[in-house]
Amino acid sequence: MDPEAARTARESLDLAFQMSIILDTGLDRHTLSVLIALCDLGLNPEALAAVVKELRTEPSSSPPVLPPPSSFP
Amino acid sequence: MEEDDQQKLMDLVKELVVRLLCQKGPNSVPQDPGSPQFHASLRYALRILSSHLAPSAAADADAIAESIKRHLSNHGKSSHALAFADLYTKFASKTGPGSVNNKFGVLHLLKIISEDRISAWNEVNSPSLLPNLECLDAEVGDRWRVSHERDNGVSLVSKDAESFRKVAFKEYADLAKEESEVSEELLVRDVLYACQGIDGKYVKFGTIVDGYILPDMVRVPRATRTIVRKLCELGWLFRKVKGYISESMDRFPAEDVGTVGQALCAALQDELSEYYKLLAILEAQSMNRIPLVSESANSGNYLTLRRLSVWLAEPLVKMRLMAVLVDKCHVLRGGAMAGTIHLMAQHGDPLIHEFMKRLLTRVCSPLFEMVRSWVLEGELEDIFAEFFILGQQVKAESLWREGYRLHTGMLPSFISNSLALKILRTGKSINFLRVCCEDRGWAEAAMEAASAAGTTTRRGSLGYGEKESLESLVDVAAKRIDRHLLNVMYNRYKFKEHCLAIKRYLLLGQGDFVQYLMDIIWPELSEPANTIGSFKLAGLLESAIRSSNAQYDEQDVLNRLRVKMMPHSAGDRGWDVFSLEYDPRVPLDTIFTESVMAKYLRIFNFLWKLRRVEHALIGAWKTMKPNCITSQAFLKLQQDVKMQLLSTLRRCQVLWNEMNHFVTNLQDYIMFEVLEVSWLNFSLEMEAAKDLDDLLMAHEKYLSSILEKSLLGERSQSLHKSLFILFDLILRFRSHADRLYEGILELQTRTGESSLASKDKNKLQRHKNDGTLENGSWTTEGRKGLTHRASEFLRNMKQDLDSIAKEYTSLLEGFLSQLPVQQHIDLKFLMFRLDFTEFYSRLSLKKT
Repeated sequence: MDPEAARTARESLDLAFQMSIILDTGLDRHTLSVLIALCDLGLNPEALAAVVKELRTEPSSSPPVLPPPSSFP
Repeated sequence: MEEDDQQKLMDLVKELVVRLLCQKGPNSVPQDPGSPQFHASLRYALRILSSHLAPSAAADADAIAESIKRHLSNHGKSSHALAFADLYTKFASKTGPGSVNNKFGVLHLLKIISEDRISAWNEVNSPSLLPNLECLDAEVGDRWRVSHERDNGVSLVSKDAESFRKVAFKEYADLAKEESEVSEELLVRDVLYACQGIDGKYVKFGTIVDGYILPDMVRVPRATRTIVRKLCELGWLFRKVKGYISESMDRFPAEDVGTVGQALCAALQDELSEYYKLLAILEAQSMNRIPLVSESANSGNYLTLRRLSVWLAEPLVKMRLMAVLVDKCHVLRGGAMAGTIHLMAQHGDPLIHEFMKRLLTRVCSPLFEMVRSWVLEGELEDIFAEFFILGQQVKAESLWREGYRLHTGMLPSFISNSLALKILRTGKSINFLRVCCEDRGWAEAAMEAASAAGTTTRRGSLGYGEKESLESLVDVAAKRIDRHLLNVMYNRYKFKEHCLAIKRYLLLGQGDFVQYLMDIIWPELSEPANTIGSFKLAGLLESAIRSSNAQYDEQDVLNRLRVKMMPHSAGDRGWDVFSLEYDPRVPLDTIFTESVMAKYLRIFNFLWKLRRVEHALIGAWKTMKPNCITSQAFLKLQQDVKMQLLSTLRRCQVLWNEMNHFVTNLQDYIMFEVLEVSWLNFSLEMEAAKDLDDLLMAHEKYLSSILEKSLLGERSQSLHKSLFILFDLILRFRSHADRLYEGILELQTRTGESSLASKDKNKLQRHKNDGTLENGSWTTEGRKGLTHRASEFLRNMKQDLDSIAKEYTSLLEGFLSQLPVQQHIDLKFLMFRLDFTEFYSRLSLKKT
């Protein structure tokens, strides 16, 4: 990435991070960046949010038996 | 490319899972990518991600940002909202490589995560809320502060007071909910039922208290109880109004409630249906909750008791009005009811005024209908006795005076008295025309009136509030009908002519006729009353008419003139029972009623008597004129007898003169100043009369003025008596004078006979044929005896005459002294005539 793009990306991430603080999401910078990247790739934000919620509130419980993941675009 | 993306995706997801698992708690063990837990989580995550294929909300970053801002500001974090707005603006402005393409997605993500967190926090925190507020402060405050500390990197200042208030409100709401056994929703519903007069589950109608109350058993806070009580006043008022309406409807078959009452009930029912509509809307609102603007506000029912009280404020005012109305009109009916409602409508508040006006329009329509049909058709269709005009069955001749009258109790207050009188008169005229005059022309007059006033003759064209149109209709109708009536009276029934005829005959206006009648009827009437036949008198009347100018009068008029013999007692002479009468027929007898004709009779009697006296005096004059007989006697007699004769004659003459002066002046006064003047006034008023009432009044005035001025009124009783005594005296004088001159004539004949025995017997024959003497015993006596006789006779006569003269003088004096006391100004003219040389007043002055 060229430095221009890098700067833009950094600023965007900063802004997003500040917004997330205001909204009290409890996400740290790194997780947020991952999430933003996943959103950009087109994943459903509601699904991502659900993932976040589920994995956060799962205190060392045994993971449910899952069917093998189907391929997704 | 896609492979790359896929790989990137997997990497990122793995990264995410690692991160999240690391974040779980201080106790969590940093996971390594190889642990089975990690894989499980990963698989779970992938499953979740694959199941949601499309976002549920619209892909609009701005909308989401707005929603977040609103949410933040609603929760009291307005500074946060501003900061967020600022950040978002900057964030959104970043475009180009390296920026976030799916801004919407990011925002949406953040929003959902934050909401999830908040709900997670609420679940964690809520079980710990205790009713005890004091401990709460510290605990909650601690938690809030702790939560804020958990924020990574940035520390925000938390506003303790704000959060306290929020919590405090929540606490109060819970408290209130616990205190009331019954929820507000149910109470609202009950109140709505009460407003329709139905007992609800909790709110019932207490008959002792006479109101809708919540029984004390139901545990409700006092404020709620009060407001329920206030709202239920509406229910009490409603019951009252509805009770009145149903009671009236029950009384319909009994014909107890009039048309006005029925109209009132109908109008009230209309208002109540409006009220029902409002209640239906309120009920619908109380069932369904209306969604609010703020999405996450935890609201109860929309329709609270307070909101209900606002909605019901206006119906309460109206219902109160209706209840007061019902109270006042309970015992009234008809026009009185309309008048009361009208008085209540005089109110400054436009709402009340409008309401009352609406009600009144309906209520007064039967009344106006009655007025219209009365004024235009003379029909009085009033089954329930509500109209202010009452009619009763009378004979045709008293139809005008007594057939209809005003009933002021039923007169509504918006119809003034003069208008009511006009209405009465118009309808009365139509009925009068129809019944008494048998005239059909009034219908056209009514149509013209209606078209002129701009309304039709159909129903329902007048209304309350259109007072001007009512007045104009009545005015126009009254004018036309009155004019029509007067036309009929004058032209068809020739009222003026009959009045004039009465004046000419009954009031002795037709001089030549009266004179002739008097002449031929004189000897008849001197007989005792019971020997006189009315046929004879009628015949004499006919001949009198035929020989005077009266014969040129109309046949109709002459037909009505008749002789009337009044009921006589023993000792009456014809003079006392004779009178003329005039026969007015329908419809003129409305004006010439029995009492009016009796008055005319009185005047006639008086005038006839006066005429009789005058006639007597004229007769005396005839004998008293200087003639050969007296002069002959004068010459033949001796000196002293001559003196006696002279003085007697002179006395007679003087007395006659006085009496004549009196009678003539009285007659003239009556003729010119009483009769003619009154007639002139009456004719002027007849011209100016606008309707039959005016005419009646004018005629009354005419008659009463005649009575007053000719001393027949009540105040002149004593004067009247003395006048009659004077008349009697004059008649006595006449007979004395007759006797005197008879005696003189007898004397003359005898002396003439004795001295002219040898002389011209033809003269004697002539004289003899003139007089009505019997020359029996006297001719045999000598001259001396004759003289003696004559002087004695003359002396007697003189004495009689003296006494008459004395009596006359005293009576006349009495009469004249009483005259000035009279109130009527015209009697002063009589006084003036009688005493214009002040002879009598000087006489009386001398005496006193």
